[in-house]
Amino acid sequence: MIYLDHGATCLNKPKTVLHAVRCALENCANPGRGGYGASMAAAKTVLRCREQAAQMFSCAPEQVVMTHNCTHGLNIAIHTLVQPGSRVVISGFEHNAVTRPLHYRNARITVAGRRLFDPADTLSRWEDALKQGQDAAVFTHVSNVFGYILPVAEMAALCRQYRVPFIVDAAQSAGSLPVSLDAWGADFIAMPGHKGLLGPQGTGLLLCGREPVPLLQGGTGSNSASWEMPDFLPDRAEAGTVNVPGIAGLHAGLVYLQQKGIETVHQHQTRQARRCADGLKKLGFQVFAGNSQSGTVSFVPPMDCEEAAQRLAWRGIAVRAGLHCAPLAHESAGTLESGTVRVSFGHDATPEQTGALLLAAGHLLT
Amino acid sequence: MYDCLITFRSVMPAQRAESVLHGQNVDCGVQRTPKWMENQGCGYSLRLGCANLPLAVQLLQKHNIAYRKLYRRSREGKLEEMQL
Repeated sequence: MIYLDHGATCLNKPKTVLHAVRCALENCANPGRGGYGASMAAAKTVLRCREQAAQMFSCAPEQVVMTHNCTHGLNIAIHTLVQPGSRVVISGFEHNAVTRPLHYRNARITVAGRRLFDPADTLSRWEDALKQGQDAAVFTHVSNVFGYILPVAEMAALCRQYRVPFIVDAAQSAGSLPVSLDAWGADFIAMPGHKGLLGPQGTGLLLCGREPVPLLQGGTGSNSASWEMPDFLPDRAEAGTVNVPGIAGLHAGLVYLQQKGIETVHQHQTRQARRCADGLKKLGFQVFAGNSQSGTVSFVPPMDCEEAAQRLAWRGIAVRAGLHCAPLAHESAGTLESGTVRVSFGHDATPEQTGALLLAAGHLLT
Repeated sequence: MYDCLITFRSVMPAQRAESVLHGQNVDCGVQRTPKWMENQGCGYSLRLGCANLPLAVQLLQKHNIAYRKLYRRSREGKLEEMQL
């Protein structure tokens, strides 16, 4: 199988990740609960992951909260910043992990910047929206559908200028583009552990620039005599047992990325995405491509997109079709009705993968 | 001999403290805080020799690692809260 669905999850994880998970399953008990070897081993495992993440994302280890996935982290962040009726600005390319919690909270949403691969337009619309007055902002770093890299550093600067607290969704950028809590001055940055960070599913990181309001209440192994959640990080946002084997794997993924270099990963991905887009265009497909693009490419096939993806699967190519849990992004690009087939390259991107995809895509036209 | 104890509110600062002190060759180890010491319930401590306590506290302050209380073992073998 040629796996090209890294936007959904990373499948071909480094061997060190698998080994770390197994090792933790065999040796780690519950961190922060006991004083015996296996509990301390678990605590050490979790701390190492926090420290590695802190180094990678420019924050203190305490600011790294372990979550179950990016959606979990976004919900904590939105729960903290958004009240019913809050005015919130979002980009035109947000995932349901952003729009659904906002909708649930009856936020008054402004969508700003709906032109693909146009950072200047995005920034202009963004500032216009901020000028109108907003209580919070939430925006993605990279569109999960089209791979559009939004100008997050500049958007963050505008948020700071207009004193609007903000959340960044780094689901599609963590592990391939620089993400920095310190440099962006973000209130929160959420990311999954199982995509670009190469860890197992059931893991995620929420970088906290401010104290979160707990989404879950429960045991933390600290301040146990109190009925209130602790008032310090990371415990405040980590009720219950964390996914220690997953976190062990996530740590191994972070170390792998540090050694390989995220710039190298990004170059490999974008090189293949460009070749893929060019090749699909030559075949006659409608392709969404532009300068500010990551390792993800969407195209519209000449038949139902799900049927096209199934036919590619029969030829050993794994991609995702439909709306990709991001109807807003499709609405912005004009593909809400058709959907798209999405190709997303990962850390193991190779020309052979691109070649195989283009060969299979050619058969969609026969 | 580990005749002093530094208590922390959770396992993470205790571990960070251990790491910092080990980095300066201070012999210490993380353990659960005795229940009677923690009116808030559940905590972790760092056991170390009292001779190293002033240096340890200095290092924790330098690295912004917050601790709760300091204890010293008395001649009778009891742990008693102390101030530096």
